[in-house]
Amino acid sequence: MSDAWLDLMRTRETLMRILALSAWCTLACAQEIQPGAAHTPVAVPAAAPERHWRLGAGLGYGNRSNPLIQSDDIPVIVDLDVAWFGKRWFFDNGDIGFTLVDRPRFTTSVVAQLNSDRVFFGKTNTRYVNFAYSGYGRAETPLVDPEDGAVVTGPVEVVIPDRDYAIELGFETLVDGDWGAATLRAFHDVSGTHGGYELSADVSRRWTAGRVSFSPSLGVAYKSARMNDYYWGVNADESSPALPAYEAGGGFAFEGGLQANYYLSRQLRLAVSINYERLAREVAASPLAEDDYVLAYFSGLAWTF
Amino acid sequence: MNRLPRLALASCLAGFLPAALADLPIARLFVKPLLCVTDREATVCSMKFNIRWKSETQARYCLNDSARESPLRCWESASAGTHSEEREVSEAFVYWLGTPGSEQRVAEVKIDVLRLDAPDRRRERRTRHVWDVL
Repeated sequence: MSDAWLDLMRTRETLMRILALSAWCTLACAQEIQPGAAHTPVAVPAAAPERHWRLGAGLGYGNRSNPLIQSDDIPVIVDLDVAWFGKRWFFDNGDIGFTLVDRPRFTTSVVAQLNSDRVFFGKTNTRYVNFAYSGYGRAETPLVDPEDGAVVTGPVEVVIPDRDYAIELGFETLVDGDWGAATLRAFHDVSGTHGGYELSADVSRRWTAGRVSFSPSLGVAYKSARMNDYYWGVNADESSPALPAYEAGGGFAFEGGLQANYYLSRQLRLAVSINYERLAREVAASPLAEDDYVLAYFSGLAWTF
Repeated sequence: MNRLPRLALASCLAGFLPAALADLPIARLFVKPLLCVTDREATVCSMKFNIRWKSETQARYCLNDSARESPLRCWESASAGTHSEEREVSEAFVYWLGTPGSEQRVAEVKIDVLRLDAPDRRRERRTRHVWDVL
């Protein structure tokens, strides 16, 4: 048998393997309804080490309410999951971390993240309001100019002040056991944006039955006065008859959530998620806050590549 | 690089099936269920498999799985068959249909195992980003 023929056979064998593997990737989710096809031998991969990359996408419908006045909710149609985990370093959907300690019971890392509150300020609208609406929809009293005490009769422009993203650096400890999992976090602004800090803790537990999993979670977060005041306070130079000055203090926010999955295959699942966050009183009392909560939900198909 | 010529070449080469493979009877294998989901506290799935197969050629067939060396069951001069079994699953494996004395697989179906508990707990961290809802 000539070398050329042997080369051709080897090439064909390699191509067949690639095609078979591609077919597996494409049809993995449809295996439930498709029979094993004849003449399509597929090698069963040995237990492979965990891949560094985790890539996924959720496609469906969801929404996150926006507690900021004159702002739109944040629709969630696609939820991308991009993460990379090395022995020490990791990247997880925008967070960059370096693991300091990894023990059987806990893992502690230094993590840099972007503050999430800024996102609420990205979907604002400028509106003109009359006396019946004082900017945060609660007062039914006429607007009074804080400078001279005069009643404002004409329309007043309400401009939501600009807020910047903050880069926060801190420690994160992940703990788990038969009881579930918990996260302890402490972050401080290192970008000079607000100069504040946040402490948070959450616990979650996953129950699995057949192809279904449920994961309820509870969390509490304390945000410092500096942090809350930067995002939810109204400075004197930002205030107007419709947006009175306000200084936000530090306070506790509470949240609860539930995530449920039905696994159609290794890669594909039906996912439902709901999360409710009760804002700190000091935030909810701000004239910039229309609601005292943030409600987020999503349902759809999630694919893990 | 333009991938189209490569794909065309791959498709052409894929058409050249080895002679031994081309001689195999055409059969289909159906198995339910196909997925086992394990977690920290449920590391094994107790599953009942319903297996059926159908072939265009009447012959002697054996049902095998990749976890065992000997066939699960053989049929003499048959073109279809059913089999059911209960077993505990913790690793992925393959049910396959073959002819006696041959390692060639006429048809096969993989039973997958999805492990929800990651050895690296960082993979289960819950980000608190506004844009992250899953």
